[in-house]
Amino acid sequence: MDDVRHTARGESWVDAAAGTVSREAFVSDDVFRLELDRIFHRLWIFLAHDSEIPSPGDYVVRSMGSVPVLVVRGSDGELRVLLNSCRHRGTKLCRGEAGNARHFVCPYHGWSYALDGRLITTSYDGHLPPEMDKADWGLVPVPRLETYRGLVFAAWDPGVPALSDYLGDIAWYLDTLFWRSPQGMEVLAPPHRWRVRANWKIGALNFIGDSQHVRTTHAGPITLDRVRSEKDGFYVTGGDSFQVVTDRGHGCTLTYLAPGMKEENYLTHPPALGAAYAETLGADQLAMLHHLRVFVGNVFPNFSFIESQVALGEKAVIVRQWQPLGGTEMEVLSWVLAEREADDGYKQRALRHGFHNFGAAGVFEQDDLEIWASATQASDNPIAQRYPYSFHSSLPFDRSPCEQGRWPGTTYRPSNTEVAQFAFMRRWQAAMGSPDRA
Amino acid sequence: MNGEAPAKASDDAAFVEVLRFLHREAALLDGRDYAAWLGLLTGDIRYVVTARVSRPAEQGPLDYAIVDEDADTLGLRVRQISDPKLTWAENPATLTRRFVSNLEVEDAGAPNHHVAHSNLLVYRQRGTAPDGDFYAGRRRDVLRRVDGSLRIADRLVRLDHNVLFDGSLSVIL
Repeated sequence: MDDVRHTARGESWVDAAAGTVSREAFVSDDVFRLELDRIFHRLWIFLAHDSEIPSPGDYVVRSMGSVPVLVVRGSDGELRVLLNSCRHRGTKLCRGEAGNARHFVCPYHGWSYALDGRLITTSYDGHLPPEMDKADWGLVPVPRLETYRGLVFAAWDPGVPALSDYLGDIAWYLDTLFWRSPQGMEVLAPPHRWRVRANWKIGALNFIGDSQHVRTTHAGPITLDRVRSEKDGFYVTGGDSFQVVTDRGHGCTLTYLAPGMKEENYLTHPPALGAAYAETLGADQLAMLHHLRVFVGNVFPNFSFIESQVALGEKAVIVRQWQPLGGTEMEVLSWVLAEREADDGYKQRALRHGFHNFGAAGVFEQDDLEIWASATQASDNPIAQRYPYSFHSSLPFDRSPCEQGRWPGTTYRPSNTEVAQFAFMRRWQAAMGSPDRA
Repeated sequence: MNGEAPAKASDDAAFVEVLRFLHREAALLDGRDYAAWLGLLTGDIRYVVTARVSRPAEQGPLDYAIVDEDADTLGLRVRQISDPKLTWAENPATLTRRFVSNLEVEDAGAPNHHVAHSNLLVYRQRGTAPDGDFYAGRRRDVLRRVDGSLRIADRLVRLDHNVLFDGSLSVIL
């Protein structure tokens, strides 16, 4: 609780002692603008998976808060993140969302840049004064860029800690999704993209640990889940299931199969990939994955992941960027990944089943989004904002983590409390209150 | 061929039969008569909806699937949206109006097999929002005659959208 800081103007939206959060945090455009300054234009932001841009000249256009950037692979094979805005008069170099380029030519006056951002020509170099050095007028590079297990992150604050330090203990869990085979994961298709009239933090909270919404929001797909209906109690929030909170507000929730189930009914590892997992992961990580049914989490601020069993012994890994557009609107980017070693049939099934559940038309997604939008709409007025949101079901648990210390981070049981969600909110408040805290 | 227009047009009789079929199908979906709609599908139906990547024109169009169902998963999707206890996105039901137009039917060389291309515009209104939204795209349907009646064996809906609006697609296109 001691990590809650007040902003320069004294605002505090999170009441750590009471277990509540002001609704203003979930609708206000003023809060959104402060989030851009304190969080999105400062901290490590997830942008892409490196398998999206495998060849020299490949690029995707993404956003870091309100900042449009190009994620591009240079002729030297190196990844770069550049401001997608001409240094002359600001035009976007790339106006689509993806492509391949040999160089970037501005459509306005013809300034041309190399893939590494270097200014090649203004088209009128002979008119330039001698004191204008073209070397100073390349595309603006993001000062910090690192990848972790293929995940591309960048930050505008040159002072942020190394990405591995920033990720801290959550990296151990990320490894079990993104580095569990020697060749690693690959993106199976371009990301689904859709707008939601809801605050971006609702998505982050939903993924860091919101087991309480599953039975109500997702009554449809849960009821229709054929595997589960054959064997009621297919997975549980008690027993082995747990939540994890790590430093800097990252976290995840691991939901395990009910004990005593027949092994053949819930193969949780793809049999064909079992050997690859054993090659890459440690014994502890393999044990963690054993009988794991649903694995979901969030890296602060807006990078989420969920692994879901799509069929017996087959899993899809879904990755999310919750891209804020204002206090009451976001754009969601959603990718499906699988192990590079998997055969084409497995990848196709993972992709289809992955977005059948979680995507622009996902059967889980459609009910989430309707509910998130209604929460945002009903909170976007001064009367409702007199009454904060409840995170009370974190309080009886967040001072009593599991003792066993088997896994990295701080672990909590049962898995269906609001501990991880409230940890996210406290970390958010701390980041909003202090520009120096990365 | 880019999949938007047939190489050789069918005769008028086939055209009229397909047009009647698509109009009746749209009425069933607008009326949320999903039981009857499922009866229009073959047992090996493939139902795919794609969106478009916005990229340089010289690199050509790139579509990617946002829905890709077989009979089994399509059945789950339809059960969810047709049972009020199993859906929030469609309870209260969204209001839809489908406009199927610009039909072109290919001469597929077999009387029991048609390939139909049509434009689709779906107006959709959710909740009390004063303004509705539109999905627009081009359909390519493979229709097969089973027990004397046309059925949909394969549907591809290529949406003219990059970023989808307002939440998740929860209706059949």
